[in-house]
Amino acid sequence: MNAILECKSVSKKFGNLTALSNVNLTLERGRIVGLLGPNGSGKTTLIKLINGLLVPTEGTLLIDGNKPGPETKEVVSYLPDKTYLPEWMRISDAIEFYKDFYGNFDEAKARDMLARLQLDPSRRLKALSKGTKEKVHLILVMSRKADLYCLDEPIGGVDPAARDYILNTIITNYNENATVLISTHLIADIENVLDDVIFIRNGQITLQSSVDEIRFQEGKSIDTLFREVFKC
Amino acid sequence: MLTKLIKHEFKATSRILLPLYLVLAVFTIINRLNFNFDQLQESFPLLHGLILSGYVLSLIAMFVVTFVILIIRFYKNLTSEEGYLMFTLPVTPRQLINSKLLVASVWTVLSFIAVIVSLFFLVIFPGEMHEFLRVIKDVRENLTESFGSYGILFIIEIIIVVILSILNDLLKIYLSIAIGQLINGHKLIGSIGAYIGINIVIQIITTILLTIAGFAYQTYANPMDIPRSFFPIMILLLLLLNIVYYEVTNYLFKNKLNLE
Repeated sequence: MNAILECKSVSKKFGNLTALSNVNLTLERGRIVGLLGPNGSGKTTLIKLINGLLVPTEGTLLIDGNKPGPETKEVVSYLPDKTYLPEWMRISDAIEFYKDFYGNFDEAKARDMLARLQLDPSRRLKALSKGTKEKVHLILVMSRKADLYCLDEPIGGVDPAARDYILNTIITNYNENATVLISTHLIADIENVLDDVIFIRNGQITLQSSVDEIRFQEGKSIDTLFREVFKC
Repeated sequence: MLTKLIKHEFKATSRILLPLYLVLAVFTIINRLNFNFDQLQESFPLLHGLILSGYVLSLIAMFVVTFVILIIRFYKNLTSEEGYLMFTLPVTPRQLINSKLLVASVWTVLSFIAVIVSLFFLVIFPGEMHEFLRVIKDVRENLTESFGSYGILFIIEIIIVVILSILNDLLKIYLSIAIGQLINGHKLIGSIGAYIGINIVIQIITTILLTIAGFAYQTYANPMDIPRSFFPIMILLLLLLNIVYYEVTNYLFKNKLNLE
């Protein structure tokens, strides 16, 4: 079985600016991976490359052995750090949309999660607060039975109670063969759910390791290590 | 997948465009009644004028609003934050462009048909149907007189030119938007600038071509040349231009997508 994600010497340049330089990275299946780094370190660029929103300047990036395209988009479930659903839609319209385009979308699961968070599907997205929209986005994204989930800053705008529910959703709602890639700088909140961490800085991967290894070898939490490594 | 894209494209656009047809229908019926009751014109000239200008406005709105809504839809759905949703669907950029182009063309043609039907309904009275048929017959006879056996070809060519021109208008705007989105923070200004730039280039090329054509046609001015060589060349040029617009747009969305 192919690794779910494989980056071979991937670089991405925007004019003179190098957003990612020579990234070599392999993600195995069945892991929850934290993509950690300060603002502007290249987290979102990497996630956009995985989702085919950007094309690498150099190198190749493979998802389950395929270059990003319609086949890989079918198996990657992506949560951008933007409110990306058309505002005129009702929550139920968004559900229909996902159901139509993604064969792996589980409608019952989405409706169940909406009910759990007391979100009425007939409400228009326009009328929802920013945090509530983020909840709707996350519910849609996690209701797909994908192989790779890419969550870009998934908990930034929601309250701590919803944050717990969301993290719980992430760990309980994916199948064992799927990998979850979470980009964030709110490390303390998600540290406990992570299997692996990737540190990224100035477009380069500076560390890829399992959480247990770091705790064992360094004797400190990821949050503490992050603060040390990325000290300003 | 293309069918699904088309379905959702119709869903998103008809939400705004269908009410337009309702407005036109209402104004058409009111004006028809207005024409039937001559007393209204004499006793309430102001009301009569209002009803008539409302109708004219709704005719203009049919074209303008349709066109503007279709452009906004393309721009917003593909280059704003909604682009994150559209470009991560399991479809190709080509399918996205195709679905938008097809649905936009259908709406444009429908707006023409709606206006023609409305005007027809307004001015044709049952007793005058034969009059209308006679006009059509006259046109046909005139066509045969001028173009001989090429009359039918002439009509087919006009239809093709109209369709290609609609596609041309849309594709030119799509390309402008695909170029404009490259500029961070100034996507809209960039798109408008690109549109003006493309038009200037096309203007220069057309002027050169027309000058050459002017020399070529000077020698023999025969109406037969219109269906035989003028229209075929025009169709060929439009087709070529459309392919260039389409392919460059597709290339930019595929390789140079720049969502913020």
